[in-house]
Amino acid sequence: MQIAVSGGKGGTGKSTVAVNLAVALKKLGTELTFADLDVEAPNDHLLLGVELANEEPVMQFMPRFDYSKCIKCRKCAEVCEEHAIITMRDGTPFLMPNLCSGCRACEIVCPVSGAILEGQRLIGHTYVTKTPYGFTLVTGKLMEGEERSMPLVVAAKKKAQAIREGLLFIDTAAGTGNTVSKAIEFSDLLIAVTEPTPLGIHDTELILELGKLMGIPTWVVINRADLGEKEKVHGLARKYGADVVAEIPYSENIVRSYVEGKPIVLTGYPEAEIFTGLAKKVLESLGGGE
Amino acid sequence: MQIAIASGKGGVGKSTITASLLYLLKDRYSFVAVDADAEAPNLGLLLGVTEWEEEREHIGAKVARINTESCVRCGICYERCPYGCIYIDDDGNYVVNELTCEGCNVCGLVCPVAGTINLEEVRSGIIRKTTTKYGFPLISAQLDVGKPESGKLVTEEKEWASKLMKELNLEHMIVDSAAGIGCQVIASLGGADVAILIAEPTPASLSDVQRAYKVVQHFREPAYLIINKADINPGFRGLHEWAEREGIPILGEIPYDRTIPESMVMLRPVVEAFPNSRASEAIRKIAERIAEEILG
Repeated sequence: MQIAVSGGKGGTGKSTVAVNLAVALKKLGTELTFADLDVEAPNDHLLLGVELANEEPVMQFMPRFDYSKCIKCRKCAEVCEEHAIITMRDGTPFLMPNLCSGCRACEIVCPVSGAILEGQRLIGHTYVTKTPYGFTLVTGKLMEGEERSMPLVVAAKKKAQAIREGLLFIDTAAGTGNTVSKAIEFSDLLIAVTEPTPLGIHDTELILELGKLMGIPTWVVINRADLGEKEKVHGLARKYGADVVAEIPYSENIVRSYVEGKPIVLTGYPEAEIFTGLAKKVLESLGGGE
Repeated sequence: MQIAIASGKGGVGKSTITASLLYLLKDRYSFVAVDADAEAPNLGLLLGVTEWEEEREHIGAKVARINTESCVRCGICYERCPYGCIYIDDDGNYVVNELTCEGCNVCGLVCPVAGTINLEEVRSGIIRKTTTKYGFPLISAQLDVGKPESGKLVTEEKEWASKLMKELNLEHMIVDSAAGIGCQVIASLGGADVAILIAEPTPASLSDVQRAYKVVQHFREPAYLIINKADINPGFRGLHEWAEREGIPILGEIPYDRTIPESMVMLRPVVEAFPNSRASEAIRKIAERIAEEILG
């Protein structure tokens, strides 16, 4: 079983919903592993109040040229979709590491065995952190200055799949590009978190579209439900056949729990009930979550 | 001059503040605005844009497609795809998931049957231009969902904006970047003269804005900071301490104010919809500082 929390627009409360829902699910007895796949801006550890642990480098292939063997045929440069390999006038190849996506196309087309050697480049890290809530958090973190988040999303997701216990629970980045689709791929349920402003509605439509294209049943959670026009969100959800499963009011208590890194679902505040209720709905729909 | 607005974290108020700054500075300076969040473009909405004067399709994303007729189902492509984008459908056919494909062509290179896997150019989205009701032009983009290369859309947007600057003799380009620090943000910050960072006083926003600042440093650009929702977390000094340590000037602080979401619903910049609100007053002060210290 796999569940993903996304939402299109940034700052709608994806991480707040994801963290509280995960804690609530565990409290109800569901084994899970939490993957923070917002590799450009990972924050779930901060909301869970834990320090990232067990850092592992994510290395990416990068060609190293053995110029004593290279026959200067230019094939590597021609095949590189990223134009990361430039050739001198005589055909000598040079790599611009920042453009390299590590796909190995150059290595595949090189006609001379050993002319392209295995180089490695650090593009980010994964972390595996035990939380005090009874589940493990897997985090991907892209290095600053790296353009491509896809390899990190793939690495962090693989890591989470390798160590997972029970349900795989995913938090994604903002946006609707292919790294978000990679993060939510193979989910049994997508939870789109939105706010009832025209901006939130615009971006939610995009994520609902993505969910539809990927054939994933989608739910909608309206955050800050009292700040805007939530009827419009309901209308949009109907258009896509997505259930609106929770409405969360703007709440100082939630803001406080967010900045203190203490999930509100574990407090006595009335807002805790919203997340517990949502967790129960998830379990009902997934038939016990196993 | 080119000014890029970034934050790392989503939802801290980049577009809200950008829209208000554009509104406040429009009579004193000439500029083109660029909404550089191609995956979730919102700046146009905040500026009340309902129609686009010109739209250009961006054909440039490449995705692999497998011809099931000639495929021998050897599975090499499935094994070698670096991003795990090839799957086997119910009929046993090897299929590329076009919503996750990066277009690297490794599958095509390793396929033993010539002509079976081809890299095809597809539409990755649209880039569009309009003149806002406030008189300045806006360039925006919209990535088709699940497509790669949103950064390239941003680069194209900025090229179009540069052309407009020359044609219309405009002084400045204001770029409202996406959340994160990846290709879209790098394309937004690359070539900018100044970066304005926006953050809220939370550990998450501090962590993300520090990452965005590292990208700014890559480009050796001067940076300024605006603190939004400044009063939601009393006692949090992290942003101030960090800004002081790095020598980043703080342009001002905007209090949390419900007139901001209300103005969003009205599709108007808050300084226009609620000129007397606390947030609007704070943004006006910030606009003055930007006029004095950055735009001159």
